[in-house]
Amino acid sequence: MGVTTALEALSSCSGCEIAILNLGEALIPLLTEQIDIVHAPILMDHKYYGQCGDGGKSLQIPEAVIGIVSGGVSNEEHIEVLQEMRKKCKVLIALGSCATQGGIPALMNGQDSEQSFDAIFQTLSTDPGAGRPDRIVPKLLDRIYGLDEKVVIDLQLPGCPPNPAHIAEVIMSVLEDREPVLPTKSVCDTCPTRRQGKGVVDTVKRFVENADFDPNKPISDMRCLLEQGFMCMGPVTLAGCAKRGVPACIEARVPCRGCFGSVRPKGNQLLDMMNALASNGIDCMSVVDRRSIQRFCGAHGNLRPKKKSAVKEV
Amino acid sequence: MSYEPKIIAFCCNWCSYAAADLAGSSRLQYPPNIRIIRVMCSGMVHPEFILEALNKGADGVMIMGCHLGECHYLDGNHITMARLDMIVELLEDFGFESERLSVTWLSSTEPDKFVKAVTEMTERVKKLGPVQGEVQTA
Ligand code: SF4
Ligand code: SF4
Ligand code: SF4
Ligand code: FES
Repeated sequence: MGVTTALEALSSCSGCEIAILNLGEALIPLLTEQIDIVHAPILMDHKYYGQCGDGGKSLQIPEAVIGIVSGGVSNEEHIEVLQEMRKKCKVLIALGSCATQGGIPALMNGQDSEQSFDAIFQTLSTDPGAGRPDRIVPKLLDRIYGLDEKVVIDLQLPGCPPNPAHIAEVIMSVLEDREPVLPTKSVCDTCPTRRQGKGVVDTVKRFVENADFDPNKPISDMRCLLEQGFMCMGPVTLAGCAKRGVPACIEARVPCRGCFGSVRPKGNQLLDMMNALASNGIDCMSVVDRRSIQRFCGAHGNLRPKKKSAVKEV
Repeated sequence: MSYEPKIIAFCCNWCSYAAADLAGSSRLQYPPNIRIIRVMCSGMVHPEFILEALNKGADGVMIMGCHLGECHYLDGNHITMARLDMIVELLEDFGFESERLSVTWLSSTEPDKFVKAVTEMTERVKKLGPVQGEVQTA
């Protein structure tokens, strides 16, 4: 018998659970010797109210030593499930950027949620669309929250999706009763691209044209994408995606989009990135759609409906 | 009850804090809404300080430094300037009116200018009212 483990997925896409499965061969000893999954609705059949609905009116999540929750909190059901997980699990792990800092669903936080709802469920040309539901389907919260805004979280494991090796490391650290060894530096720190100073770059552009590189040569022969003038978020983003020695996006010759969240604990990627650009003499106003820098970390108040200045903008 | 805003003022040690000091010892009157935080140089006011102040309940933030060209650390206030446009823009992204931030350059012998800046800023923030909407808790 392994250590009991419960898994839950809230406002998530199941990519994080796929990341667990992506442990591949390493998953087998983990499953057969180390852990014993007692509850994981997204991977195996287990109902909240008894297998035939005969389990009464309260959530039935079994007790477990390890609890792993993916996805952020966006509706009342999520809060209920999360609180139950907190009650039943000794160690609660937030898995993936949605759980740690809101992730993609928290992009919604950047605009008024009622307006978004109307924009999605109503059209101008046809009959009035559906109203905002508040019964039968769980009521939406005012915004999307990271898990640690609602309950105490013991271990944070960001990434969209997280690195399978880190998932194993975190689970093993709990089993061995020690601190997990996870990256603390920035994506740039794990990036082998060639850096030679920013040179003439004084603006940054969107990635609508390809980077300059020779496909027959290794990544270490490609010039840093930020130095090429692309908006690469490596400097402000937590490392961890370099599964084959190169950050995942850089390996595909694409700039980092910041999916692991801020490299500084509780940092603010938008602020840090813009500050870094400004302090290096790069024109911040050249960043198109800069709020999208927060695309993976919209919880914790990092993305809010935009407030227009009272004076007219020039 | 009339609304009394809380304004955080970051004053650099060499000019603006000295000016505030002089304003005090000259018994000049100014609104009691500001809370001065002394920093070594306006250039060390990281944008996060400003955001943090507003997030934690301040209604306005002032940055005060030496006149351009007179910074004790040569170009500290130029760095402040370079960041300024960006911060003003970003404040709106984070849901704050950009008028909640002001920047003033003054020398240590200009307490009247300090008083004027504080009075104006207090008026300005009073007009804006308290920070609306959700304030970051974490
Ligand atoms: S962190 Fe990424 S992979 Fe995981 S649930 Fe969120 S969107 Fe999906
Ligand atoms: S900015 Fe991007 S390309 Fe340059 S070193 Fe950092 S991660 Fe690599
Ligand atoms: S390079 Fe950046 S966006 Fe891409 S996987 Fe790594 S952290 Fe995520
Ligand atoms: S010391 Fe006053 S602004 Fe630098």
